[in-house]
Amino acid sequence: MLKVAAIAVFIFILVSLIPGSAAAAIKKAPAKIRPDTSNVSIKKFDAGALNRFKSDKDFNYDGPGINRQESIWTRFWRWVWRTLFGWLGNATYGKYFQYFLLAISAGFLASVIFRSIGLDLVKLVHRDAQKVSVPYTESLENIHETDFDAEIENAVLQHNYRLAVRLIYLNCLKQLSDNHFIQWQIDKTNSAYIFELTNPELRQIFSQLTRRFEYVWYGNFAIDKQTFGNVNRLFQNFLKQLP
Amino acid sequence: MEDELFEQRTDLGKLNTAVEQIKASLAKVIIGQHESIDLLIAGILADGHMLIEGVPGVAKTLTAKLIAKSIDAKYSRIQFTPDLMPSDILGTPVFNPKTTDFEFRPGPIFGNIILIDEINRAPAKTQSALFEVMEERQVTVDAKTYKMEEPFTVLATQNPVEHEGTYRLPEAQLDRFIFKIEVKYPSLDEEIAIITQQHHQKTADQLKDIVPVLSGSEVVALRRQVLGLHVEEKLLIYVARIIHESRNNKSLFLGGSPRASLAIINAAKALAAIRGRDFVTPDDIVYAAAPVLRHRIMLTPDKEMEGVTPDDVIAQIIQKIEIPR
Repeated sequence: MLKVAAIAVFIFILVSLIPGSAAAAIKKAPAKIRPDTSNVSIKKFDAGALNRFKSDKDFNYDGPGINRQESIWTRFWRWVWRTLFGWLGNATYGKYFQYFLLAISAGFLASVIFRSIGLDLVKLVHRDAQKVSVPYTESLENIHETDFDAEIENAVLQHNYRLAVRLIYLNCLKQLSDNHFIQWQIDKTNSAYIFELTNPELRQIFSQLTRRFEYVWYGNFAIDKQTFGNVNRLFQNFLKQLP
Repeated sequence: MEDELFEQRTDLGKLNTAVEQIKASLAKVIIGQHESIDLLIAGILADGHMLIEGVPGVAKTLTAKLIAKSIDAKYSRIQFTPDLMPSDILGTPVFNPKTTDFEFRPGPIFGNIILIDEINRAPAKTQSALFEVMEERQVTVDAKTYKMEEPFTVLATQNPVEHEGTYRLPEAQLDRFIFKIEVKYPSLDEEIAIITQQHHQKTADQLKDIVPVLSGSEVVALRRQVLGLHVEEKLLIYVARIIHESRNNKSLFLGGSPRASLAIINAAKALAAIRGRDFVTPDDIVYAAAPVLRHRIMLTPDKEMEGVTPDDVIAQIIQKIEIPR
């Protein structure tokens, strides 16, 4: 019984799936025109109501009795608007102006978004903009403000020859900077200063002096009075060579 | 001249001779790339793994192969592909019918000098297999730990990540490389020399002529020597300040790790040794900073869009910090 019902449902679905044109082919009848014979009743507006609305001044937008006098302020702005943007009444210009306003709005929106995420639009265009000078503070002593003679003398008196060599080297850098052989900067390494020297003779001697300073200061090599004397003499000879 | 005043405390003669020999033998085949070669040698002496990055055709793999050939140790090469599995690198337990038991078959990572070519062709799953072995020098499979033989150095090459079919390496893995060495295009003169050398068919013969300069045990001994070099406390503070600044820099999303601080110190020691000194100077630190940090730091998206490079930011960080003098 269930099987028969399933077959019947299947046949029904199959028949219902047959396209309209196919169904029409199976059962085709000639077309027949049937005229509409129902009565048409024409409805008219109430003349009294129309007259009442027409006489109501709330619905009178244009005509006698309406005050069309504008204030001077309104007329002034009307004139300004007409003078500046009267040409927009032209359909072609008006279309372009619309795009212009859209572009301005999009640019403003983009600028707000970029600024909110901290992106600099100028730097996006000019890739060199990232090469800005970095602010810094000198944590160690400024070589231009140190009294080297007094400091060196003090270090020698205390037999702190290591410190004395350091002060002599810093003094040497100061002299080179004062004479514009190098440009003193806190981030420059000793070899950077060596490469800044254009005079080959000065460069060679300064390179050797730098090596001595590095052995003593970074290498923690022991230095006695005699070695200090030799190092000091080399530095003084170098400083004498500076013009 | 300085020998008259200061006697050398450490005998770096053997190290310097070996370095010169390696450089000389590499110079027969590789034209230019002096900085890359210096860094590769420094990296090996500093007991670090190195990532060599460059566009295709700039002799990254060849340079790494030659460096590996200069050391008489077990060399192994792994070509990374997208379908590579962790077990293809580390090894896998294989059933032995005779013993009716599983035996561990070591993968190609078990060697001394491991060349991983095109490391960024494999996805993160495969990359993570390298985490343990690169840092702890051991492999753990099936709850058993296998120690790597010393020396153990990974030399990995990669194309820049923008190129087709590559993956960005995980940060945890990048941090395990002491240097990221960027191999640039050769200059015009170098390019002419490369073409001329190839034209005269010299390269193939000279490749065969590369002989090992150091044994594995000698490399280990030199590493110990480098590790013992002197670093002044003020220079340690200088390195710490550089790394600290990288963590607070507004251009950076991710700064340097403590591992980066250690890497700079170790690299500076190796560079000092190569330069014939048994102590570190600020020059060594400044020179090491860029190759140590450039793959560890991450730029903020806006700086990336502005075209700022990690090297630019590293230079700015160094500019801010006073050289201890």
